Amino acid sequence: MNINVTINKSLKIPAFYLFFIIHGIQTGVGIMGVPRYIFSKAHQDSWISILLALIFMIIVAYIMLLILKQYENADIFNIQVDIFGSWIGKLFGTVYILFFAATLISVILTYIQVIQIFLYPTIPSFVVTGLLIFLVIYIVSGGIKTLVGVTFIFVILSQWILILAYDPISRMDWAHFLPMFQASIPDLLQGVKATTYSVTGFEILFVIYPFISNKEKAKLPVILGLCYTTFLILSTTAISIGYFSARDLGDIEWSTITLFKNVSYTFVERLDYLLIAEWMMIIIPNIAIYMWAITIGMKRLYKIPQRITLYTTSFIVLIVATVIKSDIYINKLTDTLSSVGFWLIFIYPFVLLPLVILKKKWRKRKGSV
Amino acid sequence: MRKNRRSNKKTDNIFPINIDELEARLQKEFKNSPDLSFSKYEHHGKKIAVFSIPYLVEASMIEENLLKPLLNKDIPWTTQTILDEIPLNDSETITSFQEILQKLIIGTAFVYVEQAEEVVAYLLLNKEKRSLDKAETESLVLGPKIAFTESLITNLNIVRWRIRSTDLVMEELKVGNSLPREIRIVYMKSIANEADINTMRQRIQDLDVDEIEDSAVLQQYIEDDSLSIFPQFDSTELPDRFTYAVSQGKVGVLVENSPTGFIGPSSLFSFLESTEDLYMRWGAGSFLRFIRFIAMFFSIIITPAYVAAVTYQFGIIPTQLLISIGQSRAAVPFSPIFEALLLEFLIELLREAGARLPTKVGQTMGIVGGIVIGQAAVDAGLTSNILIIFVAMSALASFTSPSYLLGTTIRVVRFPLIILAGTLGLIGIVFGLSLLIIHLIRLTSLGRPYLTPLYPFQWRDMDKVFFRLPINITNKRAKSYQPKKLIRFSGKEASKKRDIDE
Repeated sequence: MNINVTINKSLKIPAFYLFFIIHGIQTGVGIMGVPRYIFSKAHQDSWISILLALIFMIIVAYIMLLILKQYENADIFNIQVDIFGSWIGKLFGTVYILFFAATLISVILTYIQVIQIFLYPTIPSFVVTGLLIFLVIYIVSGGIKTLVGVTFIFVILSQWILILAYDPISRMDWAHFLPMFQASIPDLLQGVKATTYSVTGFEILFVIYPFISNKEKAKLPVILGLCYTTFLILSTTAISIGYFSARDLGDIEWSTITLFKNVSYTFVERLDYLLIAEWMMIIIPNIAIYMWAITIGMKRLYKIPQRITLYTTSFIVLIVATVIKSDIYINKLTDTLSSVGFWLIFIYPFVLLPLVILKKKWRKRKGSV
Repeated sequence: MRKNRRSNKKTDNIFPINIDELEARLQKEFKNSPDLSFSKYEHHGKKIAVFSIPYLVEASMIEENLLKPLLNKDIPWTTQTILDEIPLNDSETITSFQEILQKLIIGTAFVYVEQAEEVVAYLLLNKEKRSLDKAETESLVLGPKIAFTESLITNLNIVRWRIRSTDLVMEELKVGNSLPREIRIVYMKSIANEADINTMRQRIQDLDVDEIEDSAVLQQYIEDDSLSIFPQFDSTELPDRFTYAVSQGKVGVLVENSPTGFIGPSSLFSFLESTEDLYMRWGAGSFLRFIRFIAMFFSIIITPAYVAAVTYQFGIIPTQLLISIGQSRAAVPFSPIFEALLLEFLIELLREAGARLPTKVGQTMGIVGGIVIGQAAVDAGLTSNILIIFVAMSALASFTSPSYLLGTTIRVVRFPLIILAGTLGLIGIVFGLSLLIIHLIRLTSLGRPYLTPLYPFQWRDMDKVFFRLPINITNKRAKSYQPKKLIRFSGKEASKKRDIDE
C-alpha cells in the first residue's frame, strides 16, 4: 500500500480555507450549550479554563502538523497503516471513522433536540434528519471544492449573529466574575476537559491535509481558526456568566440560545427562533465535513467508492437518528463522545508523534545501509 | 457524409448543357413555387441565360451592372469574357448543380452561356433588415442606447466599430445539420483566456442538432448544467455591454438572425451588473449595485418570511404588529401559504399579461390589475393588505435585475420557497436558501465557478463585482477569469501625485 496519496491538482485547495474548515467544523451544536458545562466545573473562572484549552489545542494542532510533515502527502489513515501495520492500522482508522460517524449523529440529534424544545415540539426527527442529510448528500457528491465552498460561505453568512450579542452584553453584570482566581487547578483542568466536546473537530486536519496546495502556509490559518473558535466560546461563556446568575446558569441547558431570547426590536422579537433556524447553516458544514471524512476514510482504508459510502452512511444515519429519541441516550452519546474525543484528539497525537519519528529514522537508517 | 457530398459533386456536373434543358431542371427543383426567374437572351447568335430568385437579389444591381453591359456590349460572350468584362465583384464559377441550388437560395444571380463548361455566379444578396433601434428589454439612462438587430452583418459592424483593434477576432462557425446558421465567436486574442475560447469553440462545434432557433437556444445547448434554473451565460442586446465584457477578456457569441448576443464565462453577480454602474460615478455606481443585491435577496425572502412568521413563528412578530396583521387576516378564508401563493400568482399573471399585450393596452392593464384588483381583493376579504404590500414589493424588487433571465429565475425560485415556508416555517426557508447556495457553489459557467470571486475567494476582484472603486484604482481586469493581460493601465502612473504648486 502506498502511504502517500496523489491528489489531482484541480482538487487542491489553498491553505487559506483551513481557517474556515477548522472553525466551521468546531463550531456546531457544542457552543449552544457549552457555557453551562464549563461553568459547572470552573465557575466564574471558566474563562481561564477556556484560554488554557486554547493553548492545549494549539499544541495539539502543532503536533498534528508535525506528524503530517513527516510524510510527503499522507493522511491519518495511511500513516496509521504505515506505523502499526495493515491490521491494527486499519482498526485504528476504523475507530476514527466510527468516531466521525458518531459525532455526526450526535450533532444531528442535538440539533433535533433543540428544534423540538424551542420551535416544533412534535416534529418527527426523520423530517429534520432527512432535510439535513439531503443537503449533505448534495454537498459531498459535489466533491471537496463544493465542501470547502459551503463551509466558507456558510461560516461568513452566519456571522451576523454576533451583532445580536450587543443586547446581552449590555445587560451583563460584571460583578459575576468576582472574586477571580477562586477555582483550584484540578477544577480548571476539569473545565478544560468540559470544553473539549465543543472544540472537537480539528482532527479533520489529519484527513484534509493532503488536499492542501500550499502546505508550508498551513500553520497560521489553523491556529487562527482555533483562536476564533475559542474566542466565540469564550465570549458566549463570559456573556452567559455575566447575564445569568450563577444558580440559573446551572439549570439553563441551552444558555447561548437563551441569551438572545430577550433581543427585541419594534418590528421583530424572539430572535432565538431566527437563531435556531439560522443555526442550520452552522450545522450543515459541520456534518458535511464529517460525512466527507467518512467517505474519504473508507476509500483510503477499504477502497470503497465514495459515492457508495455516502449513500449507505446517509441511510444509516437517517435510521439511527430516527430511532434514538430519548434525551438520556443523546446525553449519554454526547458524554461518551466527549471522553473518547478527549483521548483520541488531545492525547493520541502525543503517542503517535514519537512513533512516526522513530519509524522515519529507522527507515532512513535502513535506506542508508 | 462529407465523402458522399464530394462524390456527388463529381456526378452532378451537368455542364455543358442546353439552356432549355437547364431551365427545365431548375424549374423541376422549384416545383409549385413560382420563385425562380429564368430569362433567356440571344447575343451574337449565342443563347445566354440569367437566373436568380428575384426577391433575394438586388434588382437594380442586376439591371445596371449585369444586364446592361451584357446586352449592350458588342463582344461575343464566353465564361471568361463575362468574368473579365462585367463590372461586378464577388464572382465565381460553378460547375455543380447542387451548389447552384444552394447558392440560389442565399441570393446569388447566375449567368450561363449555352454549352459553356461553367456557370458564372454573382453574390448580390439583398437581405431585408430593420434599422437600428433603441434597446427594448434592457434600458439605460446613461450610455449608448443602440441595440443589436437580427442582422449578423449589422451586429458585426457595430462590434467592430466599438472595438477598433486588430486584436478582435470574430471566428465563424456553422451549426445545424439541416438548416445551418452562422455563428461568430468574438474575443480579444491578446486578452481572453485560451481555455475559455477553446471550450466555447469546442462546445459549439460538437453540437449535432438539426437547427438552432435562436441564440437563447444555442445558450441552452452549450450550458454547463442544463438542469439548473439559473442562466449560465450573460445574454444581452446591448452592444456596449457585449463589447465591455469582450474587452475585459470574456468570450462573446453572436448568432445570425438573433438580436441578442451572449457572453461567457459569467458569474451570478455579472447578471446583476449593468454597464450603467460604469457610467455612473463610483459612489453612485456602487450604491445602485448594492441596491440590486439587496433587492434580489429581498425579493426571494420577503413573502416566504411572511408565510413562515404568520403560520408558525408568530412569536417573532411584536404584539402591536401581530394585532394589526391578525385584524387584516381575520376575514381571509385561506391559510397563509395559500393566500401568498394566490397573490403571487396574481402578480405573475399581471406581469405576463403585461408582457404579451401591446404597449398601449399594457399600461391600462397595469392600472386595472394593480389598483382595481388589489384594492378589491382586500375589500372582499380575499387577502390581507399587508401581504399585498409584501408581494408587490418583492415583484418590484425582482424587476431591478438588469438581466431578464435572472429576474425570471428569481421569480420562479420564490414559489418553492413559499411552499417550504408554509410547511416547515423558518427551518424550511433556511433549508431552501441553503439548497440554493449549495447549488450555486456547484454550478459552473464554461467550467469556471459560478460564484467567483466570492468562492473561490479573490479579494482583488471584489471591486468589479460588489462595488466600484474610483476609476484610477481599477487598473486590473478580473483575476478570476485568468485573462492573458491582467493589467489595463499602469496603476502607478494613474495614482501619481504632483507636489503642491508644481
